[in-house]
Amino acid sequence: MQEVVEKVELAFTVNGEAMSLRVPPGATLLEVLREDLELTGTKYGCGEGECGACSVLLDGRVVNSCLVLAQECDGLEVLTIEGLRSNGQLHPIQKAFVEYGAIQCGFCTPGMIMAAYALLEANPSPSEEEIKRALEGNLCRCTGYRKIVDAVLSLAREGA
Amino acid sequence: MPAIKKYLAPKALEDLIRDASTEGATILAGGTDLLPRWSRGLTPVAEVVIDIKRVAGLNGVSRVNGEICIGACTPVCDIAKDPTIRKEAPVLAEAAGRIACPQIRNRATLGGNLCNASPAADTAIPLILLEAVVDLASATTDGTTVREVPITEFFRGPGATVLAPGEILTRVRFKPPAGGMFAAWDKFGTRPAMEIAVASVGVALKIEAGKASWARIGYGSVAPVPLRGRAAEAELVGKPLTPQTIGKCAAAARDQIEPITDVRASAAYRREIVGVMLRRMLERAGSGRKG
Ligand SMILES: Cc1cc2nc3c(=O)[nH]c(=O)nc-3n(C[C@H](O)[C@H](O)[C@H](O)COP(=O)(O)OP(=O)(O)OC[C@H]3O[C@@H](n4cnc5c(N)ncnc54)[C@H](O)[C@@H]3O)c2cc1C
Ligand code: FES
Ligand code: FES
Repeated sequence: MQEVVEKVELAFTVNGEAMSLRVPPGATLLEVLREDLELTGTKYGCGEGECGACSVLLDGRVVNSCLVLAQECDGLEVLTIEGLRSNGQLHPIQKAFVEYGAIQCGFCTPGMIMAAYALLEANPSPSEEEIKRALEGNLCRCTGYRKIVDAVLSLAREGA
Repeated sequence: MPAIKKYLAPKALEDLIRDASTEGATILAGGTDLLPRWSRGLTPVAEVVIDIKRVAGLNGVSRVNGEICIGACTPVCDIAKDPTIRKEAPVLAEAAGRIACPQIRNRATLGGNLCNASPAADTAIPLILLEAVVDLASATTDGTTVREVPITEFFRGPGATVLAPGEILTRVRFKPPAGGMFAAWDKFGTRPAMEIAVASVGVALKIEAGKASWARIGYGSVAPVPLRGRAAEAELVGKPLTPQTIGKCAAAARDQIEPITDVRASAAYRREIVGVMLRRMLERAGSGRKG
């Protein structure tokens, strides 16, 4: 950017913590998370909505943070991969990814886990087909997806 | 990062309508078309961006004077799940639920899908079948004026609509179709996930005494705009759904459309697939299925 653009106030909640900062009006949520808040778990893959590496929850809905302006989040709640851990313990989805070998390079993993989290919040006992549909917007170059689906399936509660 | 200079998020429709008439302002709904266009340099980044998602009354499905009204800012995932839409206009729920992936569907709005005016906009064909109209609001010297435009007249070409500068699509409306109608919509893509349609086809039919008494047909991704299939409709109305009628309809469809060759498919392939999709849907209708 050549011209200096005046920054604007942004107040929102990230992983349960109230934040207030000044950002350029064109900054994306992804840029603010990674660069201003140093929450680098959320990844930049394509910047165009194709890969899902930047997936976070915005007011409980999974979205591509590369396609959201930070300003749009004013007053809203964001949950990133860093917010899943509790009391120093990995979240059950994270544990399942480790256990099932659903991670190779790991670049897609935070996005995959956030998409899986959104699915399991809405539907605690998804079928394999429902899991595949829920992860449709997340690309993985390494695993071939089978182990990712198995990891999520291992968390699906019986009785669907 | 898009070099936006000013971001506005009005809460009242009057404020939005006034702000929208600012020179050089761009409307932002879900941003799923706009942000990729900005980052690829396909659309110049706007100096002033007006986020319309906080405007009261633009989000959600309601029933007003016997019509189903959908606010422009309703995310397509909500349309796919809405009980009224699923029951009364299942073709629209189906199309909304097959856009992209959860991340996109959670942001993408109905108004954005239409105003972006892609010939592949998935919600457009079901809205043609439903004979929907859109309400377009703009500023006048002493307030706001709203005009109503049938969906078939809204699109003008790839990326072009009848929207005047500063005009806002506020809602989409249609009368719930009478029960007992056949209605189907499908899209064909090169892979089952995240598919922008190579072609899409929709059919709505009333069948009385073994004959089609009313028909609406639509095609996506095969013309500069989402297209109403008037030629195929004309072959159908007043006739029984025999293989001959169906064959003539499919031929009329192949003749009417104006597909192009692009990265997803050739024009010849699109012509072929539209004929096949339409034939299969009409065969299903003829066999007495509902959709
Ligand atoms: C990865 C990916 C996959 C996709 N897959 C599909 C698909 O399968 N099918 C499909 O149909 N689309 C698809 N899309 C396109 C896009 O998601 C949809 O068209 C979406 O509905 C656009 O809505 P939006 O709210 O995000 O629009 P925005 O990007 O906010 O706006 C789009 C355009 O419309 C204008 N606009 C928006 N709302 C209004 C209004 N109310 N009044 C006046 N002007 C307005 C904006 O100024 C802009 O020019 C895909 C996009 C991506 C990135
Ligand atoms: S970086 Fe956002 S979808 Fe790829
Ligand atoms: S583990 Fe490498 S991209 Fe998925």
